[in-house]
Amino acid sequence: MSEQQDELELEALARKLDDAFLTTRPRPGFEDELWTKVQARRPFGLRLRDALAGLASGIREVPAVPLAGLAALVVVILGIGLVGYVGGQRQGGAATAPAQHFSSTSGEVEQAPGFGRLPSPSLKSSPGGAATTAPVAVGPVMANSEYSGPVQLTWSGQNITLGSASVFRYREPTTTDADQFASSLGAALRGRPKGYLGSYTATDYTLEVRGTVQSSAQSPAYFIYTSPSMPPLDAAGAAPADLASLFLAAHSLSPQWNYTTAIDSSGELTRVVFERQFDAADYGPAYLVDANGQRYGMEVDLQGNHVEHVSGVLPVSQDAAIYKLVSSDVAFREATSSAPPPQSLSTPAPAVQLTKVELAYLLVPAGDHSYYEPVYVFSGSFQVNGTTYTKHLVAPAVDPSQRTP
Amino acid sequence: MGAERPPFEDLYREFLGRIYAYVRAQVGGAEDAEDITAQVFMNAYQAYPRFEPRHTTPAAWLFRIARNATLDHFRASGRRERLRRTIEHQPVAEVDPASQAEERIQYQALLAEVARLPERQRDVISLRHSGLSFQEVGALMGCSEDAAKMLYHRALRALREAVEREKV
Repeated sequence: MSEQQDELELEALARKLDDAFLTTRPRPGFEDELWTKVQARRPFGLRLRDALAGLASGIREVPAVPLAGLAALVVVILGIGLVGYVGGQRQGGAATAPAQHFSSTSGEVEQAPGFGRLPSPSLKSSPGGAATTAPVAVGPVMANSEYSGPVQLTWSGQNITLGSASVFRYREPTTTDADQFASSLGAALRGRPKGYLGSYTATDYTLEVRGTVQSSAQSPAYFIYTSPSMPPLDAAGAAPADLASLFLAAHSLSPQWNYTTAIDSSGELTRVVFERQFDAADYGPAYLVDANGQRYGMEVDLQGNHVEHVSGVLPVSQDAAIYKLVSSDVAFREATSSAPPPQSLSTPAPAVQLTKVELAYLLVPAGDHSYYEPVYVFSGSFQVNGTTYTKHLVAPAVDPSQRTP
Repeated sequence: MGAERPPFEDLYREFLGRIYAYVRAQVGGAEDAEDITAQVFMNAYQAYPRFEPRHTTPAAWLFRIARNATLDHFRASGRRERLRRTIEHQPVAEVDPASQAEERIQYQALLAEVARLPERQRDVISLRHSGLSFQEVGALMGCSEDAAKMLYHRALRALREAVEREKV
C-alpha cells in the first residue's frame, strides 16, 4: 500500500469516526430525565445563582433602556421557589442555621477623608420598577425553572433611616500581595496562570489567588484545593461549622471580620458559609451581599471530616469614610421610579409587597480601587398558582448626590 | 476580558451529547454510558462552583470529569468483565429501534471497536473525535500536544487494523 493510499484510508476512517461520534446520542428523553435529577441535587445557592443568571440575560435583552437610567436604577429582583425548596427538591438538604460570631474588624481599617464621589453600583439591573403608590411592571423575574415573568412591586415595611454610614475602600491587590499571603500560609509560588495573581503549592493543598473581578463584581479571592493526601480533621462528633473553623484556624485562615455561619448540604457534600459582615456604625452588623442580594464571604466544602475546598475573600487593607445615606423608602423610590414603561402583558403581573429591608454592603469595583458601599436589600413574598416565592430588591443607600450618575 | 461562568444548564445542554458519545465509545454499551453520563453531570454540578473558566475551557473541564468517571467505572467493575458482558448482552442494534439503519449500526459497531482498543488508544480517539483539540487532549492525558498527535495516529492505525479484522 502506498503512503498516499494509507493516508487516504486513515482520513476516511477519521471522517467515519467523526460521523459516529456526532450521531451517537442518548435515547430520546434521557436529556430531560437527567436534567430533572440534576435539578433535584442542586444546592440552594446555585439554584438561586442560575435563576439570576437567567434574569440577567433577560435583562440584557431588553432594548432601548437609557444607559443613564440603567446606571441609576439598581434593582435586582430575585425569585426563590420556597415551596420547591422546602418541599424536598433539595434532597438531603439541611436547614440554614445562622449563628452569630464576632471577630475583630479593627486594625486594618482607619478613617479617611471622603473618597470623593463614589462610583454607582453597576448591578445587573432590572429595566422596570415599582412605586409604592402606582405599581408598574418590572421584569423579567426568574424564581426557578417554574416561574418567570414581570411583577409589580410595592413597599410597605418599616423604613430604615440612617443619617450616614461608612464606605470602605481597598486598593487592588498585586502579585506581591498575593505572594505575601501565600507565603504566610507556607505555600510556594508555582506560576501565574492567566486571570490569577498566582498559583501556589503547599504540602497538601493547592492555592490560587485572584484579584477583583471587575466585570461581575467579585471580591479578591483565594481558593484552596486540598489533595487526597490531606488527612481528615480529627474531631469526632464535631458539627460542620466547627470542623470548618478548626481547619481555618489550623491554616491561619480564620476570618478577621464579623460573620455568621450558614450550612448548606447536598448529598455527601456540606458547605459551611461564613457570611461576612461590616460594621455599619449606628446600624450594627451589615452583611456583604452580591449583586443578587445573596450573602457571601468564605466557603468551606466538607465531605465528612475532610475539607475538599475553601474559597475566601482575600484579606486586603481597607480604609473607611463616612457618606450620607438616603432612607430606605427614598432608595426604593429612586430604584423603581426611573423604570421604563411596562410592556403590555397578556396577563397582569403579580403584585409583590416588599415588607422587609436591611442594610447590607455591596462591592463596587472601580479599577485600582474598589469600594464596599451600603445598599438596602428589600424582600417580600408572594404566591403564584399556589407556589410561594420570595423577592429581593437591592438599591443603593448612598445619597445620589455623593455618587456618580 | 474576564471569562464569566455560564449558567450550568447551558453547559449541560451543549455537552450532554458529546459526553455521552465519549463515554459510549469508552464502555461500549448504552446502559453503562447513560449511568456514567449521569454521574458525570452530577459530579460536574457539585464541582461547578469551583470551575474557573479563565483556567480551562468548559469542554476540557467536563471531559476531565467524564474521563475520571469512566476510569472509576472500569476500576469498580473490571473492564474485561464489563466489556464481555456488554458485547454479549447488548447487541448494538437493540438499544434504539430507530438505529436499524445500516449506517447507524455501522457507527455503533465502529464505536464498539474503539471500546476494545487499549486504554490510551481508546481514550485519545474518543477525546479527539469528541471535538477536543490536540492541546486539550494532551492536557487531559498528561502528555504534550505532539505526543497526543502521535498517540492518536498510532491509535487510528490500530483501529483500522481491528476494523479490517472484524470487517466493520
